[in-house]
Amino acid sequence: MNKVTVRLAISWLLVAVLLGYGIIQTVITAAKLFK
Amino acid sequence: MMGFDTSAGWRHRLSLLTALDRKHAVAPPGFSRWLIPPAALSVHLCIGQVYATSVYKNSFIAHFHASQTAIGIIFSVAIVMLGLSAAAAGTWVEANGPRKAMFASACFWTTGFLVSALGIGTEQLWLVYLGYGVLGGIGLGIGYISPVSTLIKWFPDRPGLATGLAIMGFGGGALIASPASRQLLSLYDANYNSTVAGSVASGRALVLLFLTLGIAYFLIMMVGVVTVRVPAPGWRPAGWDPSTVAAKPLVTSAHVSAANAIRTRSFWLLWVVLFCNVTAGIGILEQASPMIQDFFRSDGVSSVSVAAAGGFVGVLSLFNMGGRFAWSSTSDLIGRRPMYMVYLGVGMLTYLLLALTGDLATPLFVMLAGVILSFYGGGFATVPAYLRDLFGTYQVGAIHGRLLTAWSAAGVAGPLIVNGFLDSQGKPGTLTSSAYQPALFTMVAVLAVGFVANLLIRPVPAHLHEPAGTQTPLEEAAA
Repeated sequence: MNKVTVRLAISWLLVAVLLGYGIIQTVITAAKLFK
Repeated sequence: MMGFDTSAGWRHRLSLLTALDRKHAVAPPGFSRWLIPPAALSVHLCIGQVYATSVYKNSFIAHFHASQTAIGIIFSVAIVMLGLSAAAAGTWVEANGPRKAMFASACFWTTGFLVSALGIGTEQLWLVYLGYGVLGGIGLGIGYISPVSTLIKWFPDRPGLATGLAIMGFGGGALIASPASRQLLSLYDANYNSTVAGSVASGRALVLLFLTLGIAYFLIMMVGVVTVRVPAPGWRPAGWDPSTVAAKPLVTSAHVSAANAIRTRSFWLLWVVLFCNVTAGIGILEQASPMIQDFFRSDGVSSVSVAAAGGFVGVLSLFNMGGRFAWSSTSDLIGRRPMYMVYLGVGMLTYLLLALTGDLATPLFVMLAGVILSFYGGGFATVPAYLRDLFGTYQVGAIHGRLLTAWSAAGVAGPLIVNGFLDSQGKPGTLTSSAYQPALFTMVAVLAVGFVANLLIRPVPAHLHEPAGTQTPLEEAAA
């Protein structure tokens, strides 16, 4: 992998981890709405 | 020797500052433009925390022995400062480039948290106003506009998609900050239980929360500072023909300065469009949790629990975030004006349905409110591309900053309209769906005003264009 590919992977991974955490936590909370 | 060390130290510090300059941020050959959206997101995901302040609001009230209003002012000051600083610093951001702007934003945002932590620790509420409200608000304004102009220049073929990706982060910031803040407060205060209504965190836990958030946000924002680049003069995406963009209706290939833009009727019509769209959305957003409980109240008891209402707020955040990306990207395909006709026109119908049928079933209510919030987010995300279409790329960041004053105004007007009507209908906890109808019908009228304003937008007259061959600040720096 060249340098640009590595930077792309790291940058998008950071975003995916942050957003993924937020979305999963929100879905867990939102599930209470339809219980 | 000392003199040499000091001199070398200053040179090192100066070289660090110089590295932030626009001319040092020009992308080298082979740079991928897909590095810019995550750089922008690393800033927007952090500053989007401003929508998650309700998580620790009750703890603040207990810690400072203050009223709801006194604590609510912190958020209001931050939003007002966002609009003012975006308007005032827009030209500076345009001239100095995204790297320096993102760095300045990170410094203000983090300092805001640190000063607020001092204010919480010493029980001085004014320090929180100064820290989170004023300093943090300046960080918000500069951070919000810092990547927008750069994204538009990197994605001239898909500006809606690019700005939608970044501004989606502002919506997503609350999704991250809300659960993270709850979990951190539980970690720092063993007696705090976020699932129990009325449970409040200690002052020590609040101080530690603000220190943790401030440092974490600074580090994440630095990823954006290090990554962001501006395109080299003359750069364009492979295979992209600029004439295909200029051939679309209401899209100019000319340049209009920020000073001239605010002299045009179209700028102020777009200001009205944004104001109306935000006013309508913020009315629901601000009232979301009690609103769903009130809509399903009979004989004084709501069938929606406090926890479920919290879940509803989370669902709205998802719609708000998703709408920013989905609708803004769609605007690249159907055009900016038709997209706003959907936001405002379909928005009017959705508000009417919410007012008349929203209390029939919870899923129907959630779906209608979700659509409205997706249009609210979409309106924010599409507006930079609309500005690019009308005024060109020359000072689009500075123009965007000036337009965001509509957000500040709507942040005051939206809650005033909703709360004003609700106050006249009865006391909180006793309201039902019919109490919301006057406010919702008013929002339909507000959206109608925006719909007409959108139809009246026209191309900028040629005498307000910059002379042919005018260079953008980037091109001047590179030259």
